[in-house]
Amino acid sequence: MALPNQYAAPTANEYGGDEVSALVLDPGSCTIRAGFAGEDTPKSVVPTFYGVIPNEPDLLFGENRIHNPHNGLEIRNPYGEDGLVEDWDTAAKLWEYSITTRLTGPRATPPNRNGLNDRSTKERADAQAAGITDDVEMEETEEMERPLADAPLLMSEPGWNPTKAREKAMEIAMEDWGVPAFWSGRSGVLAAFSAGKASALVIDIGASNTSVTPVSDGMILKKGIMKSSLGGNWISNQIRLMFSQQQPPVSITPHYAVVTKTPVDAGAPSQAILKKFDFTLTNSFRRLEEERVLTEFKESVVQVWEGPGRLSNGTNEDIAKSQPGRPFEMPDGWNQVFGVERYRAVEGLFDAKAAYTDAENPAPQTSQTIPGLIDAALKACDVDLRPILLNNIVVVGSGSLFYGLTRRLNIELDTMFPGPRVRLFAPGNSAERKFAGWIGGSILASLGTFHQMWVSQKEYQEHGSGIVEKRCK
Amino acid sequence: MAPFKDEQIIIIAPGSQTTLAQLGLPESFTPARVRIRSCMFSGEKEGEWEPYKVRRKEKAPNGQENGTATNGQNGTDRKEEEVEYEEDFVSDEGAVWPMTEGRITNWACFFALIQHVYNNLNPPFHTPILLISQPCWTDHDCQKLTQFFFEKFKMPAFALMDAATATCYAYGVPSATVVDVGLGKADVTAVSEFLLHDTGRAIAVPKCGGEAMTQRLLELLSPKGFTREMCEQLKKSSIAEILPPGTPLPGASGAGGGDVTNPAAAASTGAQGSGPNQRNTAGAMGEAPLGPGPGTEVGEEANNDDENEGVLDVASIVAGGKMTEYLARKEKEKAEKAVTKKKGAAEASAAQQKQGKLPNWKKERATFLYEDHHLLDTLKGMNLSGKEMAEAQVALDEGGQKRTAPRREVEVGVERFQAATGGIIERLADAIYRTVSSVEQVAKRSELWDSLIIVGNGARVRGFKDTLIATLNSKYIISPSSATIFTSELPSNLSTPAGTGANTPQPQLGGHTSHGVNPLLLAATTAHNQHLTPGNAIPSVNQQQNVHSSHGQTPTSIKLAKVPEYFPEWKDVGYDEAAFLGAQVAAKVLFIVDQGLSKGFMTRTDYNDQGPTGIMEFKL
Repeated sequence: MALPNQYAAPTANEYGGDEVSALVLDPGSCTIRAGFAGEDTPKSVVPTFYGVIPNEPDLLFGENRIHNPHNGLEIRNPYGEDGLVEDWDTAAKLWEYSITTRLTGPRATPPNRNGLNDRSTKERADAQAAGITDDVEMEETEEMERPLADAPLLMSEPGWNPTKAREKAMEIAMEDWGVPAFWSGRSGVLAAFSAGKASALVIDIGASNTSVTPVSDGMILKKGIMKSSLGGNWISNQIRLMFSQQQPPVSITPHYAVVTKTPVDAGAPSQAILKKFDFTLTNSFRRLEEERVLTEFKESVVQVWEGPGRLSNGTNEDIAKSQPGRPFEMPDGWNQVFGVERYRAVEGLFDAKAAYTDAENPAPQTSQTIPGLIDAALKACDVDLRPILLNNIVVVGSGSLFYGLTRRLNIELDTMFPGPRVRLFAPGNSAERKFAGWIGGSILASLGTFHQMWVSQKEYQEHGSGIVEKRCK
Repeated sequence: MAPFKDEQIIIIAPGSQTTLAQLGLPESFTPARVRIRSCMFSGEKEGEWEPYKVRRKEKAPNGQENGTATNGQNGTDRKEEEVEYEEDFVSDEGAVWPMTEGRITNWACFFALIQHVYNNLNPPFHTPILLISQPCWTDHDCQKLTQFFFEKFKMPAFALMDAATATCYAYGVPSATVVDVGLGKADVTAVSEFLLHDTGRAIAVPKCGGEAMTQRLLELLSPKGFTREMCEQLKKSSIAEILPPGTPLPGASGAGGGDVTNPAAAASTGAQGSGPNQRNTAGAMGEAPLGPGPGTEVGEEANNDDENEGVLDVASIVAGGKMTEYLARKEKEKAEKAVTKKKGAAEASAAQQKQGKLPNWKKERATFLYEDHHLLDTLKGMNLSGKEMAEAQVALDEGGQKRTAPRREVEVGVERFQAATGGIIERLADAIYRTVSSVEQVAKRSELWDSLIIVGNGARVRGFKDTLIATLNSKYIISPSSATIFTSELPSNLSTPAGTGANTPQPQLGGHTSHGVNPLLLAATTAHNQHLTPGNAIPSVNQQQNVHSSHGQTPTSIKLAKVPEYFPEWKDVGYDEAAFLGAQVAAKVLFIVDQGLSKGFMTRTDYNDQGPTGIMEFKL
């Protein structure tokens, strides 16, 4: 697919024009982003984690409902470890939830029972006088049956999504949701578009994966897609390992367990009053809440060693030690200053040997690190393409927001590929990096020339879900 | 288009419980002139809506049939003209509330409500409308409303503004964390530079509104015969209070002065609790001076609980036709009480005075006046004549001042302090923390913590705001680390501080000097500028925030935003409905000052060009 020229105005006879604003859905293993095309950030960002209370049929979706301690509340995630959907039923429900809660409105009670359609003759006359024709009412009835029936849907997927999963996603959109048109885009390609590039090497550091995707002229180079599990979750795990190897080991007490905290000296045991629950809380719930603390730790303490060279090189570690440490206070008031540890927690992204390990968590392979992935991805691409890709490296994903990560990446790339032609693009605005895939989709779906790309409901009826492989390359 | 004038502008702010509206902007902005219950009643025909409850009232052809069950049947048999309808402006029996937790659940009813509000304002032509939108309205809802407004009212311009943005306009702060506590839910919004943060916004957090507190009271008090309505009124009364965490309940072990008088009072607890002095609290509500029976409760409380049950159930007594008996008994009690009062006056007065001077939170028991709408409804349902009705009302009223519903004194114990014990404060605190933490620019977070705005009528309960702030402070505040106070990033690599004043300690530390940390040390740690420490993940972002230098974590302090002081009319009523004040400011700015230059509202022409979906460009 050639990148549609965004400066060209849509011709008048083209389908839809700007009138229909498409929905853009960018599901991930940590959050699901959804919004209308043409906007600059997704309006609806919903956690992919959901809650299950034993013996209750309702699943708990959304931030408001998963963070309250409840007897037996289990937190689950429909995604597997490689960033692919495992539990399709729940994933589809979550996706629908993310769209209907903020964008299109909830699935209403069936129109024959909600009382809206039993209009009296007088009101009908009123409505007509006001210019609301019966057609409008008809449309309303339709969309209540299928909440997404009035807007085409552009959905993102990881580059390594197998054909079956792509077809499944299309089936859900077409049959369950009844979207009028659908298109599925690779998140790597969309991220490149968000940076305004048709050809790029996209480095996406997400929650469950870090991936490197070469994109040429808006097409994904399938052979060159490299991914590893060294993403945000892995770094959380590194921090946990680091905590457990501290002397004495650091325990994480999430906010829900604390009533009040009292300031204590650094390193002194916490004196917080803890909350007592007269019911059992599951490990999965605790883990989710601990993860929130770790996110705060990542945001405020963890830092990437900016070089020159790796942290383990020569005297670098001593230099790092001499840097002033950064304090962190746990929800229970325990606080400590983190010196060189704060560099080591993410050093594993670049230097496999530097990662924290224990019996259950072996060190990663060098090929799994970001430089390793870039190297492998480039080797899998055509030689002629390499300079173009190196000149357009796009860094996205929440995991790339660690302080100093882009500078370190620049240094690593300079040593790997000496020469002036390596250029790194990382949006300064953190929202643009976090939601790059969604933003790319939003740009793409709002282009006038994109309208020819949609797979319409009718085409789907004719060709079945196999059409996704042919049309959404 | 001719420019708009102040007096032409309509502002409508729908809420789950009350819809506020106003026509015209006064010289000095006032609280909403029109307050309408957000409910409608099903009309005679399906699909028709009435703003007030309509009662069928039969004209009695002769005295015999009055009030008997057969009357109704006869009425239908007879001709139409003998059926009379009467509007009841107070009752909400059978009402349909089109909004629940901010969401519009019954569109037909909601549209009827808006129509009613509009008619009530009776606007002239050329009237632009500003609608305050609820955070949980979806884009689709907004479009539907736009269509309705343009096609129904044919106004020249329409603006849609989010309640949180409006609140920021009211306070005149560009960045704030707006906590809006409503009826069934609360919304927490981070607004930075007048822009809403959609991601991470806690929209319609369930069980965090005023209703949750009423339900909690009901849960605690229903064994004592309280109804939901009583709990609701108790919550609104001045004796209900939410105590900051750690405050012992009066009567609980280890409490302060309140306890001292208790043993003495134990013999006649009720008498103590409901003595005349106690009612100072009711007086604070703006109630009339004491009514015909100031000490009525003394006699009543003497035969405490079972009696209480009976009292609470007046409506059924009356409905059962036993009103006269009841009144006779009351009369007797009153007489008894008068005697008791004389007898007990001497010994009780000393203790009573002592109790009376105590602040509310130290008193174990207190009373409030309960307006019994249920009773009123029952009376109305009995087809009494106007005179009989008035007599019955006066007889049953204990409050003295003429009101819409008969009132009775009701006494409650420490339960009145426990409205928030259902975890509502914790849930809300967590939602606030979550919302601020989800703002992507880490550097902006401390600014957001330093201008917290708590609005909404749910937050009106005494002590709610203080307790929320206290909870946030005790749970989330980050104290300066003792490890970095002296050793940390003292700017050894910095030759001379630039003369920008950036290194001057900022007066930021109000909140937590009480934590036992030497304020001077605190000042020392905060004296440096942020860019000495890599606290921020985005190097390009402006880092001039006065964050605790040694911490990247927030909050290091939590403060309420300063309330706007230049609106005298608002000062008296409080700023719980600040969104409406903000709406007036915004209306002035959008319609009068800006005149649409920066696309603050959608004109009729825009609507004709773009249709309802176009509103998304104009929504604020």
